[in-house]
Amino acid sequence: MANLILKDLNVFSETLYEKMKQINPGISDLELYEFRYCLTDLLPEKGWDSVKFDSRIEIERRVNSREFYDGIQIKPRLGERVVLDNPIILLAQMLFVGLVTGEYPPEWIDRHFYFDIRGFYFLHRTEYFTAGVLAHLGGRPYKNFEQKQKGFERLQAVGYKDFMRANAEVDELFMKSVNKIIAFRGTPILLAIAGPTAAGKTEIVERLRIAFKQAGQNVTSIELDNFLTDRDEREAKGIHSEGRQAIHFELFKRSLEDITHGKKVSIPYYNSVNGISSHNLDGSLKPDGVPIEIVPADIIFMEGNFPFLEKDVLHLIGLKVVYLTDDPIRIKRKWKRDIDYRKKYDPSYFRNRFFKDQFIMAQIAYLPQMETCDMTVDTTGAALWTTPEIAAILRKGK
Amino acid sequence: MSGMDKSPNQQPLGAATTADDFSVRLFEVMKRINEGIEDLELYEFRYALDNLIPEAGWDAVTLEGQEEIEQRVRNCDFFTGIQLRPRAGGRIVLDESIVCLNRMLFAGMVNGTYPEEWIRALFYFDLRGFYFVPRTVYFTDEVRAHFGNKPYRCFEAKQKRFERYQELGYKDFKEANAEIDQAFIGCVRQVILARGSPMLITLAGPTASGKTEITERLMTAIQEIGRKVTTIEVDNFLLDREYRDDKPMGKESTHFDLFLGSLKVILKGEKIAIPRYDFVNATSSHDINSKLKAGCTPLEIKPADIIFMEGNFPFHIPEISSLIGLKAVYLTDDPIRLKRKWKRDIDYRKKYDPAYFRNRFFRTQFLRGEDIYRPLMKGCDIIADTTGATLWVTPELVELISLD
Repeated sequence: MANLILKDLNVFSETLYEKMKQINPGISDLELYEFRYCLTDLLPEKGWDSVKFDSRIEIERRVNSREFYDGIQIKPRLGERVVLDNPIILLAQMLFVGLVTGEYPPEWIDRHFYFDIRGFYFLHRTEYFTAGVLAHLGGRPYKNFEQKQKGFERLQAVGYKDFMRANAEVDELFMKSVNKIIAFRGTPILLAIAGPTAAGKTEIVERLRIAFKQAGQNVTSIELDNFLTDRDEREAKGIHSEGRQAIHFELFKRSLEDITHGKKVSIPYYNSVNGISSHNLDGSLKPDGVPIEIVPADIIFMEGNFPFLEKDVLHLIGLKVVYLTDDPIRIKRKWKRDIDYRKKYDPSYFRNRFFKDQFIMAQIAYLPQMETCDMTVDTTGAALWTTPEIAAILRKGK
Repeated sequence: MSGMDKSPNQQPLGAATTADDFSVRLFEVMKRINEGIEDLELYEFRYALDNLIPEAGWDAVTLEGQEEIEQRVRNCDFFTGIQLRPRAGGRIVLDESIVCLNRMLFAGMVNGTYPEEWIRALFYFDLRGFYFVPRTVYFTDEVRAHFGNKPYRCFEAKQKRFERYQELGYKDFKEANAEIDQAFIGCVRQVILARGSPMLITLAGPTASGKTEITERLMTAIQEIGRKVTTIEVDNFLLDREYRDDKPMGKESTHFDLFLGSLKVILKGEKIAIPRYDFVNATSSHDINSKLKAGCTPLEIKPADIIFMEGNFPFHIPEISSLIGLKAVYLTDDPIRLKRKWKRDIDYRKKYDPAYFRNRFFRTQFLRGEDIYRPLMKGCDIIADTTGATLWVTPELVELISLD
C-alpha cells in the first residue's frame, strides 16, 4: 500500500498535503495544486520510492551536531541559480516520505522540526531553554502572558506591526522592569541587548531610547561592529565576526570602562562596505583613520549578537538582556523584512543560510549569553525570565 | 546589522531634502496611493525605499512633464526597451528606466508636481515589488462598443479587498470570483445548449488571470450536461525555440498550417494527430516544415462534442477565428495578477529571480495587451472580467441565450 502511494506522484502529493496540514495548519490555506507547485522543487529524480530512510536516532544525532551545520553550503549552484543545499533537500524528502508512510510519527517530526511554508522546507527547532539556562534563570519565568504569536502560525511572512502588537504585554513589562533596575543600580549604566537576527532587538532598543529621552535621560549607544578589525585580517586567520579575536578587544574594554565612568570615549570606526577599520591591529589609529567620539550619557546601549559574550567585560555591563524570538517566527519576519522589503538576498541563499546559522549561533552566542544574562525576554513564549537576583529587585520595586 | 535609525543616510551634505525627511513625506503620500502602505512601519517602508534612493539625493531627480510621461508609457518602444536581466555586482537588478520612472514619480509626488489622481489613473503601485507599474487599458471604447457599451451582468467587485494584500493565493481569489465565475460558466453552458456540436471553444487571458482553474471547472460543467469534451493545448503547436526568436504566440511561432488543418479535421468529428512540444528541451516533435521528426511520436486526440483550447494565442486572426464557435476571454486586472504571481510563481514555485520577474511583468503587460488582448477583446463573444466582476456578452449572443 505504502509503496503504491510512493509510486504515484499525484497520490503521494495528495496524501502528503493532508498529513502536512497536521504539521503546519497554514498548509490548509493552499489549494492542492499550489502545494504541488511547491513540492515540485523537491521531487527526487528517481521518484519518492527511491528515498532512503535514516533512523530517528540517526536523524536526531545529525541535526544536533555542529558538523552537520558546518557542512551546509550557502551558495550551491545549479547552472546559474543558487539552489537549496543537498543535505537540506535530503532531510525534507526523508521527512515527507516518512510522514506519508508512517515511518516517522507526526509528533516526533513536530518535536524536532518546524515547517516553514514560504521556504517550503523543514528546519530543526533550536533549543534555547537548556537545563543550564533554566537553572540560571530560576527554573521558571518571572512572569508570562498569553502567547499571541500563536496567531502567526498560519502566516507565511510577518511584518513589524503585527509582531509589535503580539508582543505588547511582555514588551511593556520588560520596559518597566528595565526602568526599575536602572533606578536601583544608578547611572551611567551600560545596557546590553543580545539576540538572534530578527528577534526584534533594534525595535525594542528604539522604543527604550524614546522612553528614556522622554524621561529626560541622555542616551547613547556603542556599536560592537565598530570594534571589528580589518576584514582581510580576520579572513586570513579564519576568524569571523565573533569573539575577542575579531575585535580591538583592549580598546573595547577600555572604552566600556571609561564611558561607564562618565568619560568621553573615542572608539574605532569600522566601514562595513569595504571592511576596513580606522585602527591598526595593535589598537593605534591609522594615519588616515577617523575615530568616532562618544560623549557620556546616562544610558549607554550596546546591541548586537555578542555584546556580553566576553567574560572580561561582564562586570562593566549594568544590565544584560537577551531578547529572544523563536526561529519559526524570526524566519517569517525575515521573509517580510529581508526578502520582500529589502530585497537583500537571493531566496535560496537565504533558506540555506537561515537553516545553517541558527544552531551554530545558539551554540556560540546565545546559549552562553543566556547563561550569564540578567534577563531574557522570550517574545514567542510571551515570558520575561530573570535571574533570582533581578527578580528580587523587581519585587522590591513593587 | 543596519539598524532602522541609520538606514537612510545616503544624502549628500547640504542637500535640501534629506533622505529621512523625504521618506517621511513620501510614506504619507503613498498611503493615499496604496492603502496597503499603512500596514508597514515607517522603517519597513524605508527598507523598501532604500533600493531606489538616487545616488545624488532626491533633489537631483529631474522631473519630466506629465504629458511626456503619459506618452512614454503608452508607447511600445518604452516597454520593448526594458531589459529583463540587467546586472549590478553579480545580481539581477530592476531595469534602469523602471528605476528612473519610479524615482521621478516619488520625487514629483513629494514636491507636489504630479497630482495624486493623475498618478493613480496612470499607474498602480505594487507593494511587494515596491514599484509603480503603468495600468494596462483593456476596455477601450472599441471593446465597449463591441459589447453594446454595457456589461451583461454586474456583481459586487469583491477583489477590492485585495488592495492591501502583498500577494494573493488561489483560495481567496476563487472566493472573490464566485459569482462572476458561476455566471460565466452558466453562460457558456447556455451557448453550448443553444448551438450544435462539434464546437470549438477558446479561452484566452493574460498570465495568472485564472484560466487554468476556470477551464477545469468549465470542463466539469460541460460534462454535466452530457457533452464529451476534449482539449487541445495550443502550446503543442509551438516551433522549436530556436526558430521562434522570442516571437509571441501566433502564426510565425507555431506550425500554423498544421494547426489550422487539425482544427478543421477534428471539427468534422475525426481524430487528429498533432505535434508534441517538449517544454524541458524547448523542442517540437515536428520540424520547421511541420513534418514529424525521426523517432518522435505525435499526440492523438479523439473527436468530441466540445473542443476546448486555452492559452495566450491570438484567436482573433481571421483563419482561426472563423472556426471558433465561442471565443471567451477570462480577464483579471494587472495589479491582482501581479499579486497572484508573487504568491504562485515566486513564493510557491520559486520559478524566477524576483528582480527579473519585476522587469518582466512591467515589460510584458502593455505589449501583450497591444498584440493580443485588445484585438481579441474587440472581436470575442464573451468576457469575464473578474476584477470588475462583470460579464460582457455580445448583443448577438445575448439574443441567442435569451431565446433559449
